[in-house]
Amino acid sequence: MSSPAADVVPGPELRFEVVHRTEYRYGKPMVDGYTVAHLLPRDTPWQTVETSEVLVEPGYDERTEHVDAFGNRAIRLGVHRPHDHLVLTGRSTVRVRVPVIDLHQPAGSPPWDEVAALLRAARGDIAVEVGSFVAATGSTPVSAELDELTGDLFVPGRPLLDVVAQLSARIHTALEFDPAFSDVSTPLTEVLRARRGVCQDFAHLMLAALRGHGLAARYVSGYLETDPPPGQPKLAGTDASHAWCGVWDPVLGWFDVDPTNDQLPPRRHVTCAWGRDYFDVAPVRGVVIGPVASQSLRVGVDVTALTVSP
Amino acid sequence: MTEGLRYRPAEGRFDEAVAPDGAVRPAWRSVAGLLAEGRRGELLERQRQADRMLDAEGAGHLVHDLGGATGLPASTPWRLDPVPIVLGEEEFDLLAAAVEQRSRALEAVLIDLHGPRRLLREGIIPAGALAATSALRMSAIGQSVPRWLVHHAVDVVRAADGSWRVVGDLTDSPTGLGYALLNRSVMARVMADPLRESSTAALVQAPTVLRRALAALAPGGRADSRTVVLSGGPDHPSYVEQSYLAVQMGLHLAEGADLVVRQHRVWLRALDALEPIDVVYRRVDDRGLDPLEVRAAGTQGVPAITWAARAGGVALANAFGSGVVESTVVGDGMADAARLLLGEELLLPAWRASDDLATTPLFDTATGFVPCRVVVRLHAVIGPSGVWVLPGGAGRVLRDGDHPAEPTAQRAKDVWVAGAGPSTRTRAPVVVPAQVDFGGSVPKRVADSLYWTGRAAERAEVAARAARVVEGQLDQDPDLVSVGDGGWVRGATALLRAAQGLSPVDATATAPWVDRLAAESAATRAVIVEQLGSLVREGSSVRQFLSSTTGRVLGRLTRVGSDLLRADAAVDDLDMLLVDLAALAGLAMESTVRGPAWRFLDLGRRLERALALLGAVEATVGAEIDGPAVQPVVEALLAANESLVAYRRRYRSEIELDALVDLLVRDDTNPRGLAFQLDRIREHVSSLGWPEGVALVDAAARALLAGVDPAVVGGRRVGLDALVLAARGPLLELDAAVVVRWFADPVNPVPMGQR
Repeated sequence: MSSPAADVVPGPELRFEVVHRTEYRYGKPMVDGYTVAHLLPRDTPWQTVETSEVLVEPGYDERTEHVDAFGNRAIRLGVHRPHDHLVLTGRSTVRVRVPVIDLHQPAGSPPWDEVAALLRAARGDIAVEVGSFVAATGSTPVSAELDELTGDLFVPGRPLLDVVAQLSARIHTALEFDPAFSDVSTPLTEVLRARRGVCQDFAHLMLAALRGHGLAARYVSGYLETDPPPGQPKLAGTDASHAWCGVWDPVLGWFDVDPTNDQLPPRRHVTCAWGRDYFDVAPVRGVVIGPVASQSLRVGVDVTALTVSP
Repeated sequence: MTEGLRYRPAEGRFDEAVAPDGAVRPAWRSVAGLLAEGRRGELLERQRQADRMLDAEGAGHLVHDLGGATGLPASTPWRLDPVPIVLGEEEFDLLAAAVEQRSRALEAVLIDLHGPRRLLREGIIPAGALAATSALRMSAIGQSVPRWLVHHAVDVVRAADGSWRVVGDLTDSPTGLGYALLNRSVMARVMADPLRESSTAALVQAPTVLRRALAALAPGGRADSRTVVLSGGPDHPSYVEQSYLAVQMGLHLAEGADLVVRQHRVWLRALDALEPIDVVYRRVDDRGLDPLEVRAAGTQGVPAITWAARAGGVALANAFGSGVVESTVVGDGMADAARLLLGEELLLPAWRASDDLATTPLFDTATGFVPCRVVVRLHAVIGPSGVWVLPGGAGRVLRDGDHPAEPTAQRAKDVWVAGAGPSTRTRAPVVVPAQVDFGGSVPKRVADSLYWTGRAAERAEVAARAARVVEGQLDQDPDLVSVGDGGWVRGATALLRAAQGLSPVDATATAPWVDRLAAESAATRAVIVEQLGSLVREGSSVRQFLSSTTGRVLGRLTRVGSDLLRADAAVDDLDMLLVDLAALAGLAMESTVRGPAWRFLDLGRRLERALALLGAVEATVGAEIDGPAVQPVVEALLAANESLVAYRRRYRSEIELDALVDLLVRDDTNPRGLAFQLDRIREHVSSLGWPEGVALVDAAARALLAGVDPAVVGGRRVGLDALVLAARGPLLELDAAVVVRWFADPVNPVPMGQR
């Protein structure tokens, strides 16, 4: 998980190369392995994927790529021979044009409670495409602690964009980024109690608050370009996969916000996939069948800014 | 008609049996006689009979909670009321039409929710609320399946005004069809006359109808398709009906670990190969179906089985995702959904919490007949030719305060459709679909369990016999403890330790020998109970390969076993246990189809017996015994191996070591002897086509041919020790080799780490 980015300069168009390597090693050879990978970035209204591929070591016996219920590109792999390691390397180049959102003019955004009312009575395409992002999931539960932290921001009549911006600031301030504190299975209640977590927790917290008020919000999985400490060269593999939120606004459509870095819109981010929460879009998940054995996991991510080609 | 009726329905509400004017309803005429005065004793007997029969089917020892404090399954049986719920044919036809309509409506809803989603677009089902139900499977959206529902169950109740209401639908993995058939099989014996007199519709065609509907799902219309029943295993609360239904349909009862997905197909891990499976009738709910697609599945289920289904390589019944229509958010929109998708009004309204319920008579063994409220589960099977509704079902008794969807009383009632049979409905010609013969096909897990069933049965028997012999000898002659300078006590203690699978002498023990004997006696009983526990557990998971009477014996063993640990347990209890174990052994020999499955069962038993015999010989006559103790110790050894009578008849003399070794070890006509076991083992491993196994048996057999050196060194008969060692080595190797060659297969899915 990435640490909060230093101040960044937004540019009209950016190009990135992302290399995301996930390496499993097993103490004894596994007989069958099944993996679902969300490692291929998707096209979005502000992002164009130029190239993308996923390499698999030591190989696989079946591989299919499909578009999941959220429109993400998912890869399913089956390995049916003894293997004591599995390495998935996603490599892509994407072009991102950061959308411009004028936070000083939130009046263009409708009051959040009107949006919630609209969603409650949603019909047609909105119901189908946005409706499933209103429901709380196991990873985004509402609670008294959450309401205590964020409830006062939902003032009736306040523009949605304004609420989201303040919510992002609130969560960013309240939580300390601590990669040692949580992992994918840490419940949100624990994060709230300790007031620390990783980007995934920041995002889940924001989703829980928004959905708890009847708004539609989605979990976005992707990458963030980070700068090396001043005067030092950038080291390979030091970046991490990142997560933030998308919020639905009837005027703006979906817009992104990164509560970990309190950025609205996020400016040096590459979108990979989105869903209701982490578990819909985990970069790599799977099961292995084999003897009882140890398992180790190493993840490395590199995000490199490229020159924008003419 | 009320003359002599012992049953008084509640005032002011509909009663199934008795009309408001006090007359017995027409459909109930054949049953009404039983409700009369003076028939209570008869009904008590019928109740007892029903209890016994359900017990035999495993209802007494397989339901819930395997592995209590004693390691034996705790028993929570349901009880079948001898008084059925009787419905007239015309009334049932109305219910059947409503069920049929719901099956069609739910199929249409499932197609819509996973495809065009008109119900969401039109606001009939709120998208947000739907997404919030834990039953929605996002990965099922967009999949095309041959059919969403093949088996659908509906819970209905009759309101106090006499009208029927729908409590809910079961669409994910409906339970209860097996129970309904099982209950009817009991009623057919217990209530044979009323059943016939009322012309009640039979249920016998249900397994065939279901099997045919399942076979019709086979991808690409594969003609020689294979279907398995995917079970949650013996720990699953409805395992009894899963296995009953599988047996009735003649299908394999597979567990998750028996199946593997490769190349988008499902394969059964059979003994020697992976065998392709086309249709899976799943009796595990979709939360536990595929650990890749459902977060909560953990390590259960079959990884990637939903991928295979989505790719069209296998058909799941019901389809993955079918459970979503069980949720209340869909239930609340059902009437509108049926209007939109089918253009029909629902025939039955939904039950509301404010609806008071009708009553029906329940036989209470203490107080006679009492009015009770019931919920009735009806079943539909949907195949290519339409919806078939089971002409019957199961009623479950509601306690005060029970929600009809969750009855807490463990009391069931059979539902009769009177006046309907035998009729065209039951005599419809039944076409049996082409089906591969399962005779030669044994899943690895089944062979594994059968092998351990055989071993546990034999080990329990060996321990019971040793305890029985030693305790019996002591009962008859308490002075034995001082015979031969404690020689008998040492021999008996060693025999008991051998029966527990321990070395003959506990080198660390310092207590007086008499105390050690008592301790080993208690420990042996504990081993018996432990072995009975594994026997019941292993045996229960493969009961479809055993005869149906075996279920009854397993039920008895459960009860007998728990009695053994009582403080006042007597030698007599061991005798009872030995009779039941003999029944089990007899059933294995006489009532089990000879095939690879039986071979593994018998292989386990023979190998265990051979090893136990070697242990007993080593423990007793392997040591030098003081003169006066020789006779009782050797007699114990012979009696523990059921060879005492044969020995006396053959030799009529003082005990001689050579004669003893001949009878117990070399004589291939003594079914308790070692040579006999080796011959059987050799047959089994040859028949499996396994040269390595044959070589190991031959190595053990060669050891028996050597002469036994009579020399005694350090208190041990070195010749006997050498013989035991030479025979035991290859047998232990054989045991290990069986596991590696035939069973060992890594089958537990482990989640890969995430970050």
